[in-house]
Amino acid sequence: MKLGVKHGAKRATLILGAAALLTAAPAMAGFKLMQKGQPQLLRKSSLTVTPTIPWNRLGARLGRNAEAWTLDGHSLNDLIFYTAIPAGKTLFREVDKKNKPLPKFDSKMLAPDIAALFESSYRIAGSTSLFSIDSIEPATFAGKPGFRFAYSFTVQNEEVRRAGEATGAVINGQLYMITFEAPKIHYFDRNVEDYRALVATAKVG
Amino acid sequence: MRLTAILAASLLASAAPALAAQADPATAQADPAAVQHGPQDADERGLWMQVEDAERRLKGSNFVIRDPALNAYVRGVFCRAVGEAECAGVRIYITRTPFFNANMAPNGMMQIWSGLFLRARDEAQLAAVLAHEYTHYRNRHSLRLFRNIKDKTNAIAWLSFVPFGAIAQLGLIGSVFGFSREMEREADTGSVKALAASGYDPAAASQIWGQMLAEFDATAAERKRKRRKEGGMFATHPPSIERMQELKAQAAALPAGGERRAGRAEYRAALAPFWADFIDDQIKLNDFGATELLLGQLASEGWTGELLFARGELYRSRGAAGDFEKAAGFYRDAIAAGAVPPEAHRGLGMALLRAGAASEGQAALQEYLRLRPDARDKAMIATLAGGQS
Repeated sequence: MKLGVKHGAKRATLILGAAALLTAAPAMAGFKLMQKGQPQLLRKSSLTVTPTIPWNRLGARLGRNAEAWTLDGHSLNDLIFYTAIPAGKTLFREVDKKNKPLPKFDSKMLAPDIAALFESSYRIAGSTSLFSIDSIEPATFAGKPGFRFAYSFTVQNEEVRRAGEATGAVINGQLYMITFEAPKIHYFDRNVEDYRALVATAKVG
Repeated sequence: MRLTAILAASLLASAAPALAAQADPATAQADPAAVQHGPQDADERGLWMQVEDAERRLKGSNFVIRDPALNAYVRGVFCRAVGEAECAGVRIYITRTPFFNANMAPNGMMQIWSGLFLRARDEAQLAAVLAHEYTHYRNRHSLRLFRNIKDKTNAIAWLSFVPFGAIAQLGLIGSVFGFSREMEREADTGSVKALAASGYDPAAASQIWGQMLAEFDATAAERKRKRRKEGGMFATHPPSIERMQELKAQAAALPAGGERRAGRAEYRAALAPFWADFIDDQIKLNDFGATELLLGQLASEGWTGELLFARGELYRSRGAAGDFEKAAGFYRDAIAAGAVPPEAHRGLGMALLRAGAASEGQAALQEYLRLRPDARDKAMIATLAGGQS
């Protein structure tokens, strides 16, 4: 996604993948290698995943309950973890709370509501109307009944068509979800199975 | 009016019409005024090249709505409003962007955002906005602004400010550059005159700006703050009560008689294939106050099934206390009114499930799947519906 980020007196525009939400520069402190086969506890959460291939964790945070990993660099392939999002919170950091407030998660949301929450958040944060949920089905996440949905979107002024997949569940009233998104050309298909393999290792608690 | 992000582009664009003339002789002939003002110096030439580049990118954008019928209709309204000779060299780009906006770059590139179509109620209102924008273009307001800014600031710094690549993006710099009150008045007057001369109802100008004023107030009220003073497309076109009154007075002062076309039926027919997508874009903006007001305005002659369905979607997406019950009521009314998509049953089912009426909700979801057997969300909805349909 592409977001306008406040930067001093003016605004600069950053192109980020879904890692879009990464804000300004100082936070881009670099990457940390997530080794294959080593369980990783997502920061400040009870979600653990075990990568089946090495990934790179981005230094910048997308918000209190979200972080991103990548293979080739953000916007080329982004793995985003939404961890233990409580009721009343947004999926990721507000981009312009005053003028473009993001919708908030509610523990009672059903799977299609969560997909709609995700869609609306992306549309607002990325200033795009070219976003669609392409399918949604039941799925198991961290051993719990959850959902999986496929989506696609294009961000204005960048024009790259991207595909994405999200898998998650509401556990103890909090939303856990892992998404993977990448350009439709080449990148998405190349690693979507690696994403699914990683999702299969997810454990909560 | 003119847009924000584009605003910048327009400014720039106005700086360099002569190049455009070289690049497109047809345009130059159609708009002799554009030829007179070439870029005056290196800065302006540079700016103009960037606007050309922005237009090239816009041409290939995924966001441009290329439907031939809609484009022909909009061009027809524009040409009728400003005159065939004047409209000939203008390139119109309709983009899928859910905000009220239209703008013209000085090289004759006009951009119209889809949110405008949701808000204009008839052809005359659409014509009012396009004629207003055209007046800015014809009177070279952006060029005047550019010179003014250039005198005061470092042109290079200004360049770095302008998101040329962002021609279609939501405005970022609107608060920096704005048309003066005098230029707005000129454009307002120009639009009223154009409407009258072309047989459109000149009252449409004050109507649409008045509707926007009310919408801003509704957004602000819902979000418990004051109306936005800057940003958005209205950074440069602040609607105010004074402007509404002035526009009204100008329309009233015109000689009586003559055609006073609103073109509501034609407008609705032209927009019908797109309306569902446009209102869906609006609902997903998470701006309950403005959307509720907008639906109310559109329902001034009664709530159609389509409008009721949209209202159900709006309340369901907000999900505050009591919203699911209200949404269920709107969906039921929509279904009773007829001519609604199967998604009305989906919305009803989802609202009822959230409201705690499980069995009723499941029945509605089953009805949705019956009507839409190839639904994209079939697998998930079937589970929620309690069956393995």
